[in-house]
Amino acid sequence: MRFTIFQESRVGKRRTNQDRVAYSYTRDALLMLLADGMGGHLYGEVAAQISVQFIAQSFQQEAKPKVTDPVLFLSRVLSNAHHAILDYAFDKHLSDIPRTTIVACLIQDGIAHWAHAGDSRLYLIRKGRLLTQTRDHSRVQLMLDQGLLDAESAAVHPGRNRIFSCLGGSHPPQIEFSRGFPLGNGDVVAMCSDGVWGPLDADTLVKGLADGKVMESVPRVMNVAEELGGAQCDNMSLIAMTWHDDHQGDIPDTVSTRTMPFDAVTTQMEGFGRGKRDQEDLSEDEIERAIREINAAIHKFK
Amino acid sequence: MATQQNCALPSGFQLDHYRVERQLSLGGFSIVYLAYDQDGTPVAIKEYLPNSLALRAEGEVTPHVTEAHQGAFRYGMKCFFEEGRALAKLVHPNVVRVLNFFRANGTVYMVMQFERGRTLHDYVQKNKGNIRERFIRGVFTRMLNGLREVHAHKLLHLDIKPSNIYLRADGTPVLLDFGAARQTLMSDTPILKPMYTPGFASPEQFTNRDALGPWSDIYSVGASMYACLAGTSPQRSDERLKHDTVVPATKAWAGQYSPHFLATIDWCLQLDPLKRPQSCFALQKVLAQRHREAPPQQKSWLEGLGTRLRTMIGRS
Repeated sequence: MRFTIFQESRVGKRRTNQDRVAYSYTRDALLMLLADGMGGHLYGEVAAQISVQFIAQSFQQEAKPKVTDPVLFLSRVLSNAHHAILDYAFDKHLSDIPRTTIVACLIQDGIAHWAHAGDSRLYLIRKGRLLTQTRDHSRVQLMLDQGLLDAESAAVHPGRNRIFSCLGGSHPPQIEFSRGFPLGNGDVVAMCSDGVWGPLDADTLVKGLADGKVMESVPRVMNVAEELGGAQCDNMSLIAMTWHDDHQGDIPDTVSTRTMPFDAVTTQMEGFGRGKRDQEDLSEDEIERAIREINAAIHKFK
Repeated sequence: MATQQNCALPSGFQLDHYRVERQLSLGGFSIVYLAYDQDGTPVAIKEYLPNSLALRAEGEVTPHVTEAHQGAFRYGMKCFFEEGRALAKLVHPNVVRVLNFFRANGTVYMVMQFERGRTLHDYVQKNKGNIRERFIRGVFTRMLNGLREVHAHKLLHLDIKPSNIYLRADGTPVLLDFGAARQTLMSDTPILKPMYTPGFASPEQFTNRDALGPWSDIYSVGASMYACLAGTSPQRSDERLKHDTVVPATKAWAGQYSPHFLATIDWCLQLDPLKRPQSCFALQKVLAQRHREAPPQQKSWLEGLGTRLRTMIGRS
């Protein structure tokens, strides 16, 4: 496999970044993940973190160096991630179960499969044009499909952030799976949270990423989205990958997995523990853990 | 920034399942409230609210933390957790008991047993110059039981002073406020400097934090005993290092207290950590002795002290 990949997550104007992005690859398989914890709900950040971490770990365990069945794999890990969130909520007696959107894309044998729940999106861009994209699991999208709304009013619809499927929460997720898309040289797979696609129109996003130089285009597109997001700018995350033919000559910054050992895994996760901004910072999760530990100690010695 | 004052939660405020009665104290790092739980049992609730980082304006509940201070605020929270962790493990009649720990209003709270009584500081102020040796020996011997427990858990209190020693109605002491028991955690975050009270802190707390040990708390114990006699703390130890103006207890109160007792105070107040009692136990043993004898005894005691010191040093 040969590809160029770049991911970035920004907090926007919010207090915390509840988005999580990650990618992980072996010699023969690449997994890209994006989760957007739901801010209106308790511990959205935790839900996003559990999902991304859990799915990435499953990939590392199972991709040796490929997973047996990409669709089954996606189905199982997303469902397991959902249950991992439920378990977490149960363990901690949370009254409300944390929620997160998810979009996961697995590429092996030159074929991309993806699955999603919620309104984080995946775009497949070929030769500068949008080949396909995920459909949001939102009411607004349903209304669009039924012809009750047009794209313009959907973009400003008050309920545009309401989604009906996600990991966590009290209902089982409705996970949507793609068919397998064989990737060609120069294809771009981009995944983003609503903080990125919300302020941008589809055209800007697709054109912005079309050239495949993801290391430059991702920050550039995010700058535009951040600008348009203004004072209310949501958390923004974007991960984009350009696929290259194996036999292509050396292109700077590409990852070639051909020389990777059979059992090696490389993983890149960002947005955990707000790492970049303040190394000493405590994550929500650590705070919860500390409180739990202290209370456990109190009760143990009581 | 230094002058900003945080507003306490109002009386009657329902905090988790406690009802706030009133504010007990306000520190740079926290506010302590008297509150009642569902059964009407009084508790002391300490709210993490560092003045320099978080501001709660009049009538507000959630303190405002600016983006720039988020990191430091969370870091301070870590220290607050350290205090909680430290106390949660300690179950001792002479150490304040933590009952619960929870999160609310964008910050964290520690619920402690509420003790009726008053601080040693208040007692000293009320009975200035009229405090009996027996009383001091009694309070400190018992308080050292608690401090031993603290040290046994590999913790240091680092802020022992009369206002952190609480006297229950029956006279038994309780060690309070482990806010400084965060060891070296704080050393390099300038905005959250370790907090201690200058007159009671050992010289190594100012200059050489690597040298901290039980003997640092012992210095504070000595300074606290000194304050029981003098009514105020001795000169700050960092200034003592430059120019020591502290009149030794053996001189200042000769004739009023037993020389043995006064020498013990001076022993604790040695600037060189190695010259102090090295453990609570060593100090306790001395304090528990009854010496009502006149000066001749003093000499033998001082000689004894020398040997004692040597054995202490040899042991450590």
